Amino acid sequence: MALFFFSSPSSCSSFLPISTNTPPLFIPKNNRFFFKSLKCSISNSTKYNPIPCFSSSSCKLEHIVTEFKSLSEPIDRVKRLLHYATLLPGFNELDRVSSNKVTGCTVQVWLDVSMDEFGRMRFLADSDSEIMKGFCSCLIWLLDGEFPEEVLKLNIEDLDVLNIGLYGRANSRVNTWNNVLISMKKRTQLLVENDLPSLYMLH
Amino acid sequence: MEGVVSKLPSSFKFINPNFTIRRTNSIKLKLRRLTSSSSSSSSSTTALVESLSLGHITRPDFPILHQEVNGSPLVYLDNAATSQKPNVVLDKLRDYYTSYNSNVHRGIHSLSARATDEYEMARKKVANFVNASESSEIVFTKNATEAINLVANTWGLSNLKPGDEVILTVAEHHSALVPWQIVAKKTGAVLKHVSLTKEEVPDVKKLKEMLSEKTKLVVTHHVSNTLGSVLPIKDITSWSHAVGAKVLVDACQSVPHMVVDVQSLDADFLVASSHKMCGPTGVGFLYGKREILIDMPPFLGGGEMISDVFLDHSTYAEPPSRFEAGTPAIGEAIGLGAAIDYLSGIGMQKIHDYETELATYLYKSLRSVPNVRIYGPVPSQNVRRAALCSFNVKNIHATDIASILDQEYGVAIRSGHHCAQPLHEYFGIHASARASLHFYNTKEDVDAFIEALKGTINFFSL
Repeated sequence: MALFFFSSPSSCSSFLPISTNTPPLFIPKNNRFFFKSLKCSISNSTKYNPIPCFSSSSCKLEHIVTEFKSLSEPIDRVKRLLHYATLLPGFNELDRVSSNKVTGCTVQVWLDVSMDEFGRMRFLADSDSEIMKGFCSCLIWLLDGEFPEEVLKLNIEDLDVLNIGLYGRANSRVNTWNNVLISMKKRTQLLVENDLPSLYMLH
Repeated sequence: MEGVVSKLPSSFKFINPNFTIRRTNSIKLKLRRLTSSSSSSSSSTTALVESLSLGHITRPDFPILHQEVNGSPLVYLDNAATSQKPNVVLDKLRDYYTSYNSNVHRGIHSLSARATDEYEMARKKVANFVNASESSEIVFTKNATEAINLVANTWGLSNLKPGDEVILTVAEHHSALVPWQIVAKKTGAVLKHVSLTKEEVPDVKKLKEMLSEKTKLVVTHHVSNTLGSVLPIKDITSWSHAVGAKVLVDACQSVPHMVVDVQSLDADFLVASSHKMCGPTGVGFLYGKREILIDMPPFLGGGEMISDVFLDHSTYAEPPSRFEAGTPAIGEAIGLGAAIDYLSGIGMQKIHDYETELATYLYKSLRSVPNVRIYGPVPSQNVRRAALCSFNVKNIHATDIASILDQEYGVAIRSGHHCAQPLHEYFGIHASARASLHFYNTKEDVDAFIEALKGTINFFSL
């Protein structure tokens, strides 16, 4: 998977206006906008610099924390999340079922969790809230394609810097954001428990 | 400004001497004129005070309102979730903990005696406030939710049998729905729900038709926390009593905003929460008719609720002690007493009249914003709404709106289902935004909210 650092908010990377000078750091994979951006980077190579460290979730976490920390104004963090919301990979309508719904108080989130043939976790998500979509986009960028142990290692406290107003209180019932991560981890754990023999074979 | 305050009639007291008014140019001008005039008469001062709205007059009493949130002056419009506390309540709490903090009904020493006196005085204040015939009809609870659970687990479990019916409306708060679901499961009682009229008000005609000899209890809100509608409780109790049913009134959204008289309403049970009526969190109350409370078994077991304790059994105290096991929220109850003094000092009718005016202003202002859907009845000469509006904006999630209002404009509103999920399901929505006012809000607060909302809609439209 290729990941690129946006050195400036270019027209091809921003689908929503981003007022800050700090550029978005990542492009979620598996989505059509990614390819659009990729083409952009090829045609204008000075805009993007590859970040080699993006190969592991801990490095990705470090980068996402750095990115959001650089946005001192809460509204800029919201705008960044809204930008990432537009990059969220499409969600299959057939997966919009109650068993995939993340329970929360204020917004609806659907989460599809599976394990691929290599034992890596695959996540897709959608929400009726644009800001929540942005959070999901970040989570998916961090965890999609990781092995279960990497998924289970991530804690909500690690992502405090992304917290935006209402969404940001770790143990609050309004924090669907927290609930999404918990759901990702719980369902990963379940898949691991149900699939132990095949996992042993893979490792 | 302070000069103006010192010239106010002696009968009028600001708790906070730093009297400031935001965003009110006309009033600022009046004040400037008044302070610069050496010959200003007491009559013109009186005229000034009369020209100020209740919101402008009381705002200085609430220190929390005078701050910036995310770089903007705070506009607090989440009063249906919780109200702010005036200085008199904060001072009372501080006084309790610095002067006479002690356990009640326990010690013989002076501090305990004073704490007990103040605690029991608070009970009397609550009783007077809702016009209970005696203070023993007031049980202090943790909150209104606990008060409903108390009734469900005592009266409900000992009175409901299989096939008995409990009638509720679809607009009840979860705290009024869930305890009865649990009790119905345990007792075999049947829950029946009253739907809404086309005007989006609980259909009291249907409620009347649903009443029968099977009905043992009607659980209803007085003022809806989502619809802003007001139900005719007097009629509901009259119809219910005619079939021998009791009525439990969730008055959380009415007691802080209007005169509530339990005797006039003839409610069997009525619950409310301190924190919604300018009092501290952690305390609420249950009003129950004496003759009903006396027959109810205990709720929680422990100290204070007993008469005699033996190793294998106990005898129980009379109400209200029977239902107040363990050390209660003493300071908080005393703080609630101070809040009641404060509200009564203003006058509940005055609060209600002012809020009715604000309610209409909020509704009309919000309705003028394109693509906004407001839930609940349209206010008119005959239909009064509480000063709150639950709404949605086309294609923008309520929580996203609330987030931007907070982050960009310092406007605090609620988003979600306001603990009324079945009602939201009824409307086919999952969430709504809600702006809810109290008497310390002003039309300028509403204007600021509307401008911020327009800006937020614009933000998401870009």
